[in-house]
Amino acid sequence: MTFLPAIRYRFMKDIGAPAAMRFAKIGKKRSARPPDPLFAPPLAATRRLKELIGRHYFLSRYAPGAMPVAWVTSGAPVEILRPFGYYTLYPENHSALCGAQKVGGRLCAHAEEHGYSPDLCSYARIDLGHALTGNTPVGRLPRPDLLFASNNICQTVLYWYKILAARYDIPLILFDTPYRFGDAEDGPDLEYMVGQMEAIILQLEGISGRSFDREAFSRTIDLAKETSLLWGRVLATMKTRPAPMTIFDAFAHMLPIVSLRGLESARGYYRLLLEELEERAERGIGAIREERKRLMWDNIAIWPRMREHANLFASHGMAFVTATYTNAWAETTPLLDPGRPLESLAKAYSCVILNHHLEHRLNLMERLIREYRVDGLVIHSARSCKPYSVGQYDIKRLLLERLSIPSVVIEADIADERAYAEEQTRTRLEAFFEALENA
Amino acid sequence: MHYAAGIDVGSLSTEAVILDSEARIVGESILETGFHSTRAAEKAFEAALAQAGLPAEAIEAAVATGYGRISVPFAAKRITEISCHALGAWRLFPDTGTVIDIGGQDSKVIQVGTGGRVLDFTMNDKCAAGTGRFLDVMAAKLEVPLGDLGRLSLEARGEATISSVCTVFAESEVVSLVARNHPREEIIRGIHRSIVHRVVSMVKVVGVQGQVTMTGGVALNQGVVALLSEELGRPVRVPAEPRTVGAFGAALHALKNGA
Amino acid sequence: MKNTFPESSGRTAKMHGPDASGENSLPSSEAFSAPDRKDYIQAQKASHGRKIFGVFPGHYPRELLWSFDILPVEIWDPPIETSRADAHLQSYICPVAKRGLELILDSRARGLDGILFPHLCDTLQNLASLTAHYLQPDLPVYFFYTPKSTCPAPARRYYIQQTRLLAERLAKRFGPLDPAQWAARSAQALELDRALEALYALRAGGGLVCSNAEFYSFVRQAEYLHPDDFLPRIERFRAVCKGEATGGKRVLLSGILSNPPEILEALDDLGVRVADDDLLNAGRRIPAHAPRSADPWERAAERFFALPPCSTGSSPLKQRLERLAAMARSASAGGVIFWTVTFCEPEAFDLPELRSGLKRLGLPSLVIETGLNSGLSGQTATRLEAFLEMLP
Repeated sequence: MTFLPAIRYRFMKDIGAPAAMRFAKIGKKRSARPPDPLFAPPLAATRRLKELIGRHYFLSRYAPGAMPVAWVTSGAPVEILRPFGYYTLYPENHSALCGAQKVGGRLCAHAEEHGYSPDLCSYARIDLGHALTGNTPVGRLPRPDLLFASNNICQTVLYWYKILAARYDIPLILFDTPYRFGDAEDGPDLEYMVGQMEAIILQLEGISGRSFDREAFSRTIDLAKETSLLWGRVLATMKTRPAPMTIFDAFAHMLPIVSLRGLESARGYYRLLLEELEERAERGIGAIREERKRLMWDNIAIWPRMREHANLFASHGMAFVTATYTNAWAETTPLLDPGRPLESLAKAYSCVILNHHLEHRLNLMERLIREYRVDGLVIHSARSCKPYSVGQYDIKRLLLERLSIPSVVIEADIADERAYAEEQTRTRLEAFFEALENA
Repeated sequence: MHYAAGIDVGSLSTEAVILDSEARIVGESILETGFHSTRAAEKAFEAALAQAGLPAEAIEAAVATGYGRISVPFAAKRITEISCHALGAWRLFPDTGTVIDIGGQDSKVIQVGTGGRVLDFTMNDKCAAGTGRFLDVMAAKLEVPLGDLGRLSLEARGEATISSVCTVFAESEVVSLVARNHPREEIIRGIHRSIVHRVVSMVKVVGVQGQVTMTGGVALNQGVVALLSEELGRPVRVPAEPRTVGAFGAALHALKNGA
Repeated sequence: MKNTFPESSGRTAKMHGPDASGENSLPSSEAFSAPDRKDYIQAQKASHGRKIFGVFPGHYPRELLWSFDILPVEIWDPPIETSRADAHLQSYICPVAKRGLELILDSRARGLDGILFPHLCDTLQNLASLTAHYLQPDLPVYFFYTPKSTCPAPARRYYIQQTRLLAERLAKRFGPLDPAQWAARSAQALELDRALEALYALRAGGGLVCSNAEFYSFVRQAEYLHPDDFLPRIERFRAVCKGEATGGKRVLLSGILSNPPEILEALDDLGVRVADDDLLNAGRRIPAHAPRSADPWERAAERFFALPPCSTGSSPLKQRLERLAAMARSASAGGVIFWTVTFCEPEAFDLPELRSGLKRLGLPSLVIETGLNSGLSGQTATRLEAFLEMLP
């Protein structure tokens, strides 16, 4: 009987999930604690964030049977998928969570035991490894019925998702975004991408047995655009001195724009967060108590080390106020035009930083440095992420030449905690701190 | 009566085994390879002959194996140590399905089929962790004779944790533990846990089949054997002389293929 | 005691002269030895007035470059030690990219009339931008994106448009594209495909007598020889080498390129024949079938879409597995050697599924991971030999 899973899902959504969140004490106000010497009190919105995340993964377990499940890459145009009613999960986000909980290495080891090279992207290794044991902070992801990917962020997701397609014997839909090597007019690239979208819509209609709801599509784009603009305003609050939030916070608060984009819950969340941040900005409450220097972070986070780094930088009075990574879900939003849905989606998704030549990235970084009044740059050279990392050494040099901005390169990884050299990193950071103080 | 010989020229030690046509060991030797592989092979061969009381001409077939196998001019054939350890271990324990060989400079896991055939294998030869070298370095750091490591680790009540996967970084960790007066036996147990972890990861790549037999010099370390057995969740058999299994297998190949 | 193996003096297996591998060696190898690359390029410039483009790995419409009288010189494994490249590329970047970059930074690159980067992977994509915008801004850099979408119509249209765009850019510098030249070179590309396909079929069927080292040394000449020079050579090679190849174990190779060459020599020394290959710079770029269209633009697109499935593309893994299995069957190969370059992500991702699939079909496989021009280490030699000892 197929409506039993649907009933169970509804029950879980309306009653089960909220109960489970209460039971897990997520959302419960903590009893009064002595003020932290380094940080301002945590944002109230964070409780809601944890609820959203918890609920997202909890409910996903009840989706199979009630609705089809899709695994989606962080840069895929999910707006096209939403009208077809899939429960969407983002393995990259799941891997980041595993990394943050410091279990990435263990999960990678499982994948390596199955022959996957330790030189492969750790998000992929964690995902491929987790399926073999299911032992992750949020449990095994529910089996997908569909894979929806775009290579705008990297080609690696294509290699990774091909394996998933083979393993689960399910369709892989790829939205291919040609690399923007030059600044020439869109021409063939745009036509190609729009052509793909039209074909993808037909394919989804075939797979799901539902016809494409253009009204719902339009509404989703509006919702996603608004959410993305809100996210952009959230990030912009860090232009204030002192910044009411840091990039380390933003790494956590970015989950909804990545994984819940196009859903009401994400928009609601950022309205809440923005309100709180604007209030703090107005009252001059800085995220770190003593903001002496403002920094930019380049590349994805070093998830297993976020807390340690947050403490380390705060103890030196240094606040990360901007990052190329968090900015990626706000930078191309202005391109979205509900009047030309497919075309504008194609533009917005193909113009992201990682799909663009390096001069574009450098210009973006220069602009952020100026707007956010950045004093120094920390460049995370991530083993796992070649599109981000190849070119960083030159970016470092060029920013120094153009803006006289000091920077430091940390060689580490996004989610595999084993790829972190404590002593070497600490030495580099200390030299960087000295350089900044003396600047 | 016919006789066959197997010579295993490793980077650290060289072994020779002489068999009669019933595959009984009539002579064997173990010595340090030193600087000259060919010389070491000759000396090992001579020593095994002496033990057997045979002249060189009595040997009808000889096979060389090991790192220095091309340095044995008097061997008619060269076969890799993978094939030799597989055949040798299987001959000693015919229900062997998996061979784990931890040598001085590399380690291997071999899936063995009927007749001692190699079905699959994996080797760790890129880094010292997971090989005898790792234990050498640590024993030196702790100022403990290599041969005492096993016994001492079995006396440990607890176990120190060594988290680095790299030998060089692990060495620093050991130095810190010693400086903090951590009990020596517990450090040694931690070192053994490290090497076993590496080896078990390799085993999972090939998969454990049937009974497990361990060969190579590190098999003399009862501490490592015990932990390996614990982590694999099954018994690990060690031949009476694990260091000569390669040469034994080579000699068996020589017998099989004849002159 | 019978000495069944030839004396070898050193640790690395080396060929000593044309007959070292016994019966399977080429009688007059001088006729087929690779012409010196530098001298050849100089002659092409001087005598033929051709323009020289350095081309990075990946698919590109060669016939278009030939039509503009450009000689594509492919950059797979330049014999140059990396030093300056390390200031620009991290330690976890593959040696193909590093050596290619080292070449670009070297003064020799200044002799080039242009560099072409086909789109192949994240590393080379970024390297293209790095080169064009910062490292050699005075050297014209071209970029050719190949479609990965599995939607056939948009992909085909896009490929043709990309080819036309490239033609427009080249025309701006070198004058208009001559339609007669374009038609002729398009036909020549097909001729080259046919010739290589025939050579491969001959080898797979056991009808080619030459060593593995000689075969790849010959086939790799396509990376810099003009088709006017290479096509007749293929004919001569076929004619001279046609014969009954003697027995020995047979294997397939799969990977990016056949470097270091010492591995081929080692296979020769062990009497093993490479029966067929799925190497990106060799067998993996022979289209599976000839194009039907007479129009050069359509033909170029058909050629591209007829290429064998690649780890860098979007074809399902099953297709790669099926192709390897079919190749093994028709070439009577007993095993597959996956020969990968360090840090090559696309290849490494596919390996576990391919290997387990092949194992299920009764085909054992080996993975050897090497740097470039790194010689043959004892460890790799042992792995190779142990694997071959496993084969029936």
